[in-house]
Amino acid sequence: MKVAFYPGCVSKGACPELYVSAKLIAEPLGLELHELESAPCTGAGVLSEQNRDLADALNGLTLAMAEAEGADLMTICSTCQGVLSDHNYHLKKDEARRDKANATIADQGFRYAGKTSVKHLLWMLFEDIGIDKVAKAIKRKLTGLKIAPFYGCYILRPSEALGLRERPERKTYLERLIALLGAEAVEYRGATKCCGFPMLTFNRDKALSMSGNHIIEAKEKGADLLVTPCPLCHLNLDGQQPDAAKVLKKDIGVPIFHLPQLLGLAFGFEPDQLRLNHHVVPTKGALEKVELKV
Amino acid sequence: MQFTIEVGRYNTEGRYAENAVTGEPFPAPWNASPVRRYQTYAVELPEHAVVLDALIAIREYQDQSLAVRCACRSAICGSCAMWINGHANLACKSKLAEFTKDGKTRVESPPSMPIIRDLVSDLKPLWEKHLAVRPWLENKQPIPGPNTEYRVPNASMEELIQEVSCISCSACLMDCESFAVNPDFLGPQALAQAYRYVGDPRDDKTKERLGELSKPGGIWDCTHCFECVTQCPKGVAPLDQILKLRKMAVDAGYTNNAGTRHADAFAESVKHSGRLNELTLMPKSTGLLNIVGQLKTLPSAINMARAGKLPPLIHKAIPGVARIKKIFERVGGRFK
Amino acid sequence: MIADHDVIVMGAGLAGMRAALEAARLGADVAVVTKVHPIRSHSSAAQGGINAAIGETDSWESHAFDTIKGSDYLADQDAVEVMCREAPQDIIEFEHMGVIFYRNEEGKLGTRAFGGASQARTYFVGDITGQALLVTLYDQILKAGVKVYEEWFATSLYMDGGACRGVVALEMVTGELHLLRSKAVVVASGGLGRLYEPSTNALICTGDGYSLAYRAGAPLMDMSMVQYHPTTLAGSGFLMTEAARGEGAYLLNSLGERFMKKYAPNKMELAARDVTSRAEATEIAEGRGIDGNVLLDLRHLGPDVILKKLPQIHEMALDYLAIDMIKDPVPVRPGMHYQMGGVKTDVEGATAIAGLYAAGEVACVSVHGGNRLGANSLLDTIIFGRRSGRASAGYAKGTAASRGGDDLLRSEQKRLEDLLARPYTGETCAGLRLELAIMMDKLVGLYRSDAGLHEALEALGGYRKRYEGVAVGDKGRVFNQALTFVLELGFMLDCGETIIRDAIIRKESRGAHTHVDYPERNDTDWLKHTLLTYRGDAEPEVTHVPVTITRWKPEVRSY
Repeated sequence: MKVAFYPGCVSKGACPELYVSAKLIAEPLGLELHELESAPCTGAGVLSEQNRDLADALNGLTLAMAEAEGADLMTICSTCQGVLSDHNYHLKKDEARRDKANATIADQGFRYAGKTSVKHLLWMLFEDIGIDKVAKAIKRKLTGLKIAPFYGCYILRPSEALGLRERPERKTYLERLIALLGAEAVEYRGATKCCGFPMLTFNRDKALSMSGNHIIEAKEKGADLLVTPCPLCHLNLDGQQPDAAKVLKKDIGVPIFHLPQLLGLAFGFEPDQLRLNHHVVPTKGALEKVELKV
Repeated sequence: MQFTIEVGRYNTEGRYAENAVTGEPFPAPWNASPVRRYQTYAVELPEHAVVLDALIAIREYQDQSLAVRCACRSAICGSCAMWINGHANLACKSKLAEFTKDGKTRVESPPSMPIIRDLVSDLKPLWEKHLAVRPWLENKQPIPGPNTEYRVPNASMEELIQEVSCISCSACLMDCESFAVNPDFLGPQALAQAYRYVGDPRDDKTKERLGELSKPGGIWDCTHCFECVTQCPKGVAPLDQILKLRKMAVDAGYTNNAGTRHADAFAESVKHSGRLNELTLMPKSTGLLNIVGQLKTLPSAINMARAGKLPPLIHKAIPGVARIKKIFERVGGRFK
Repeated sequence: MIADHDVIVMGAGLAGMRAALEAARLGADVAVVTKVHPIRSHSSAAQGGINAAIGETDSWESHAFDTIKGSDYLADQDAVEVMCREAPQDIIEFEHMGVIFYRNEEGKLGTRAFGGASQARTYFVGDITGQALLVTLYDQILKAGVKVYEEWFATSLYMDGGACRGVVALEMVTGELHLLRSKAVVVASGGLGRLYEPSTNALICTGDGYSLAYRAGAPLMDMSMVQYHPTTLAGSGFLMTEAARGEGAYLLNSLGERFMKKYAPNKMELAARDVTSRAEATEIAEGRGIDGNVLLDLRHLGPDVILKKLPQIHEMALDYLAIDMIKDPVPVRPGMHYQMGGVKTDVEGATAIAGLYAAGEVACVSVHGGNRLGANSLLDTIIFGRRSGRASAGYAKGTAASRGGDDLLRSEQKRLEDLLARPYTGETCAGLRLELAIMMDKLVGLYRSDAGLHEALEALGGYRKRYEGVAVGDKGRVFNQALTFVLELGFMLDCGETIIRDAIIRKESRGAHTHVDYPERNDTDWLKHTLLTYRGDAEPEVTHVPVTITRWKPEVRSY
């Protein structure tokens, strides 16, 4: 299945383990990744705030590139998903906005006609690849692991642009996937809450309190690890976890996995291949539970 | 149709209520200590009934000691906001059939606000934050005479209907992630009401307001998570108003804050390389002269480096980056 | 605790807050006591708009005539003149305060059509006019720094030497009883809709002020004039604003006919409310209803108008009946909505009791007479709210400080304690209220009869006796709503009694009072108001005052 692959900035920057694992799992899932190498950053909502026209043009360009590929655009980041969905939603239904964006990118040889569909890998597993194919690709069940899902705001809200009114089941895919992989999904409030990343540079302590609190809640409910489809969340939950522990004056020490890493383990790849040895919070303890070494 | 509803009870008095129908006292211990407990009730109601119908039925005929604020029953007065299955909603607008999960609906006061009793929260945080944004018109002078209105385009008044629709139910504040960890955050309701006056062409203090709102606890302490947009029963979309305020504040020159530096650094990075450069984004947002701030982020940078997660020191641009530069130039504005 | 102020305003809706704002502007130490937060006041449920003769082609005389004709000539014309003359400036004042009124193409205040008006003079904000006014006024109260005793439930008025000197109130959060002593009190506690079932009113509209003022000796006037709103949502009774008909909605019977043609051929759906309500009731009674309702049809208005001008009722129909009015007509029926009668005041808001003022729905000046025009109530609140604020502040200035009240505080404390100690008889407050309200709708609603009214009076006597057996199912101090509900039921009984008595006395049909035994309007004998004055256990004293006529001679009222 051909997809216009949009890896986003962070998977090629501070979260290389995400990019590597995403590429690895493409084959067992039958995904043909055509990477949109010239597509710009979505702006992560930050640019949209200050200059909507700019964000429309940048994302319009990305959407046009995918359209030219003739394939759905696949993201591996909740934030990319949220921002692209939002701009796509408006560019599709607001002709004036679309015309404006197209006017800006026209002389680059691109024009967005409003046909692209933006889907996160998480959604594609259920909606396009199909659960049966995913199940067939499983070589190693993750039985014995208690996994807490952490969605990341922008793949859950606002519901209109993300198509959640038509497909409310998207709000439960992580839990269902965890069960499919043979593990137990941990139920806790923080699953749908914000990790604080957008606020990290504005109010560091409070942002870290947010992510710290959610991980601790999951830990208290027995989670061995968290899994997230968003590398920005990962940066806060994993990269900043030691600092969060200091702010909250509590021990945390819960590893955070990327979605493709979890899939990769289930599909039989080794932890090192998935760069699970390159996390700030060690993944060793969780991996030992499924008899894996890192 | 029968509905089961689990109600969070909270009572500091250690008194017990008497069953209004039988006159028999309820067993004392459940509310003998100021600890929250859940009490389960069953009610018989039509299938389209809302949570408030259940609460009223309970307190009228089953348990008169259940305290809950309500008045209009039709999502206008804002009295009955509470946590329903863990998210803030108006009880009068929440259909029991939709909210029943695993056979029951759970209602309680939200944990991030003080409780007076049962489902009655202490909304002082809401009212105090609202007052803090000076939510009244500071008239542009001269005020037209006693027989003359300000002349303003209808669009400018219609634009504010969204903010004036706020009924101060506090559902947004109850679910605000930032407020939950940061009690100093003004919160979505106050900021939406701040925009109501910033966006009013008859108000004279736009610049001063934006300056106040740019301070700590204001518009930049929002974590942009859309909880308030999702939970607001009147479509006020407080986050949208906060974002409008952010743009207006930056345009008005209130740029000496991490928020503006963050946006500027972000834009610069994307303009020059097409991608986000995490290496420079953090330090630039913090402020290059902000030694204390920079030192605070050093430990995590070291951790990331040790784990091999630092982005490459030489930040590669995407192919065809000239295209991106052209877009920035063409759109213009602050990031040009 | 005893606290002293110059003026206490009871009620924080539009009338109450306007009175407080005015008193504060005049330098009075004013405090508002309210049983709910000001923003929760029922004023916010008023949807459609507020009237004023601002337009160039309009005149206050035209507005006054429409109001007087609408009142079926029971309104006091001098009071109506005051209201209509001052309306333009008061609306403009609210615009200066920041209300986001709708504008026409010139950027000036724009209007919509409303019932009973000879020309469009209703100014509005979407279909949330009441809310827009209320929140703006609340913002002004914050700006002025007016003290608000929030969630304090008034249990009694403090009378000293025949004058009103304060309010005793229960602080809900602590359960403590306090005396708020003052030199003047403005009662602005709103209506009594919970006395009827169905009603558009909120659960807090329990007639507190009528009863408190009545028992303090202030006469209640024209209490039988109870307005039924023609378009309340089937089942719940929620208000479907008249603005819908103002924007062009039709009323249809089961045959799909616009039946108002038979009853008000000129004004059709925009006839006065009592005329429209009776028309609907007749259609339903004669078998042309649909499950006891008629239909409000907005489909032809189109989604643009509906979503822009009437978004709130569109959402209500969706939420509570799962009906999208863009696609389907909405079942509606007449429901009790407003009390035209109330505490008798003059045009300054003064009652017969020194120091006691009243404004808003609870008051009867009378500007609405036998029937209120839509969009005149919001006007009433701000005009007479302002006037009573001014008058009470002025009165307070020339009055010595109040003293005493400890006795009252003690006796009220005992009264509440006795109430809490009542043993169970099986009678529930909610059950008794429901019986009372169903009875009122049946016997003292749209149509009254001698037999029915006397039956009602007797029934009410029975309810009063049973009320003595209602126990309070919560013995706590903190936020004891069970206690306040029982107190509210007591207020409602007083309201019910005065309404029934007033209806028995008025042997004619006028405005909202349709007496089947006296079906004609009788100006010869009944161009006057009825006043009921409390006499304890004895029947209230009945007096009459003539309607003040200035320049509009009563005519046949047809639309």
